[in-house]
Amino acid sequence: MTDLKIPYVNLSAQWQSEKKELLPIIESVIASGTYVGGEVVDEFETAVAAYLQSPFCVAVNSCTDALVLGLAALGVRRGDEVITPPNSFIASTAAIVHLGATPVFVDVLPSQSLDPALVERAITGKTKAIMPVHLGGRMVDMDQICEIAKANNIAVIEDAAQSIGSTFNGIKSGTFGEVGCFSAHPLKNLNAIGDGGFVCFKSQELAEVVRKRRSHGLIDRNTVEMFGYVSRLDAIQAAVLTFRLTRLEATIKSRRTNADLYRSLLNPDFVFIPDDDPREQNSYHTFVVQVDRRDELIAHLTSCGIGTAIHYPIPIHLQPASKFLGFGEGSFPVTENQSKRILTLPINQHLTEHEIQIVSQTVNSFYER
Amino acid sequence: MKVRYSYLSQQFAECDDLWLQLKEFVKTGDFTLGAPLVEFETKFADLIGTKYAIGVNSGTDAIKLALVAAGIKAGDEVITAANTFVATVGAIAELGAIPKFIDCNDTFCMDIDLLERAITDRTRAIVPVHFTGYMTDMRKLMPIAERHSLPVVEDACQSILGEIDGRKAGTWGVSGAFSLHPLKNLNVWSDGGLIVTNDHKIAEELRLLRNHGLVNRDEVKILGYNSRLDTFQAVVGNWLIPQTLDIASKRIVNAARYDTGLGAISGVKIPPRPDGFKIVYHLYMVFAKERDALLSFCQSRGIEAKVHYPVPIYRQEALKKFGSHERFPVTDRHAESVISFPCDQHLSNDEIDFVISTVAEFYSGIQ
Repeated sequence: MTDLKIPYVNLSAQWQSEKKELLPIIESVIASGTYVGGEVVDEFETAVAAYLQSPFCVAVNSCTDALVLGLAALGVRRGDEVITPPNSFIASTAAIVHLGATPVFVDVLPSQSLDPALVERAITGKTKAIMPVHLGGRMVDMDQICEIAKANNIAVIEDAAQSIGSTFNGIKSGTFGEVGCFSAHPLKNLNAIGDGGFVCFKSQELAEVVRKRRSHGLIDRNTVEMFGYVSRLDAIQAAVLTFRLTRLEATIKSRRTNADLYRSLLNPDFVFIPDDDPREQNSYHTFVVQVDRRDELIAHLTSCGIGTAIHYPIPIHLQPASKFLGFGEGSFPVTENQSKRILTLPINQHLTEHEIQIVSQTVNSFYER
Repeated sequence: MKVRYSYLSQQFAECDDLWLQLKEFVKTGDFTLGAPLVEFETKFADLIGTKYAIGVNSGTDAIKLALVAAGIKAGDEVITAANTFVATVGAIAELGAIPKFIDCNDTFCMDIDLLERAITDRTRAIVPVHFTGYMTDMRKLMPIAERHSLPVVEDACQSILGEIDGRKAGTWGVSGAFSLHPLKNLNVWSDGGLIVTNDHKIAEELRLLRNHGLVNRDEVKILGYNSRLDTFQAVVGNWLIPQTLDIASKRIVNAARYDTGLGAISGVKIPPRPDGFKIVYHLYMVFAKERDALLSFCQSRGIEAKVHYPVPIYRQEALKKFGSHERFPVTDRHAESVISFPCDQHLSNDEIDFVISTVAEFYSGIQ
């Protein structure tokens, strides 16, 4: 057991399996001398839009930027409220705050997904958008969210940073709302070799606004129509992503197989694994379980060479940066309780069945001994 | 003969050693804030002569984050040059601050004689733009900024290794913003930028701001942004950085050849080359009579001449919301008379001489 190493992520293995195809692709971008924008980026946008079955897709520098640009395109600004869960990565809330709007947190279900019943109650006259987060690949109940949004005439912007390829009623995450925001960060299921992101839209008008704003608001080399940002997907990253998109379904399939294996092996007396909704297909960016004595278990797994992570141990409303929002312990009890119990086990597509058996046995024996 | 503007295919024609390094790097999977980035930041700080350099996603973000670290908030006034690239103003506007413009002089930089009267009790920072490879006259600017206790954030995006009296661009103010865009003198294969500073506290804040405000994986101290220089690009930067002094020198030599040749042509006016200034010629710009006709003539002869910029930033559609009707006559004059010629390190003397003889031919034809 001492030599065993089961890493949480394994980007080196990914590279080894792809380098024969990827190296010439990267080399051709470098040789082209077009490093910012250009056909390679257009190609990726077309390919990912086709994959998502979304009419418009704009590539940007990160999902954080996708969220900021997406919210801004919806007209969210100072004084507006946006409903979002407190158990996401900080970027979801930061995007809202950067535009001067107020994040209105809504607690989550035992599955960690935004609770639609609470969303409905949180709507006020100032609510401009609902931002469901498909955390770790698990889909929020979009039937209910879309119904609430429609009834109240509020926009939906999906934080699909962790859920590319997840579906609900057969429809891809990120394409339910007016805006869907995706990350291509190196740790994501569809990953670049640097920062990257993209945002998809139902409306061409919103897509065009973001297309301008991602590049200084320029409509041609010399004319600035509106103030924008610099948030472009690098050509090299776009080429890597276009290639990896062809492998995404296989990646998701093996992650789902890994999840099924965990479900059959982990002892349900000690390990809570939320069920998948029959309407969803979870892409398992992360495999999150809920356990007692979580920190002791992590120490044990680490000593056995098994890498794990926590997504996320400190809820957004309790971060030092959120102090000005005025929340304390007890504000969102489900999120807070889960933050002490959640544990992310390795689930990447490079794991073997044997490795998952070892992880499962090690977890089970920690509780059974 | 064709004289191209972009030289990127020449610059990276022989880069097998870099390619090997990249292949090694990609194996590591160390893509976000990785070891080569730390190495590049150290080398860049050494190159400029500051204690700290912080890699970010673009020159625009470098200006924006430097302004946040200087305490700029919505409603604050920030003074900058009327003739800059949109990014300077975009960074100010993104923070909800209000850009206040000052006209430039014939060195394409802020005219410091106009600075003091633009300062109001709402002014919170000055952003001099070291445009085209020139530097703003920081010898005159700094005492005014100090007298008014205003932080200075240098937009040095186009002037890496520019100097006045031996002191480099980016080292005069509280921080300096640089761009690594593919068209810059030190260029990577994507968007990229850096901020330099000697102030430890500011450096720490910038490190937080570029990475979601995370002090560690789980703890968010301040709300930040996602603006990191890709580590992959830092590998490119590490390969290029030993060449940057030579790149600047070669551009200076090229510019001197242009100055001599074009300076002898009536119709062309060479901008002043003030004593003590090391101009690094990100752009080689001169003033030309009948500029638009000259531009077309050059382009018809295969010379990729350009105009930086035909519509000044302060007259752009996007600025209307600030509702100012101020006019900046020097900036306006420049918009009608400047022309840029290729000046990069890969340009041959033959190509420069061809540009000069083409310009001479144009003016001999219209006399």
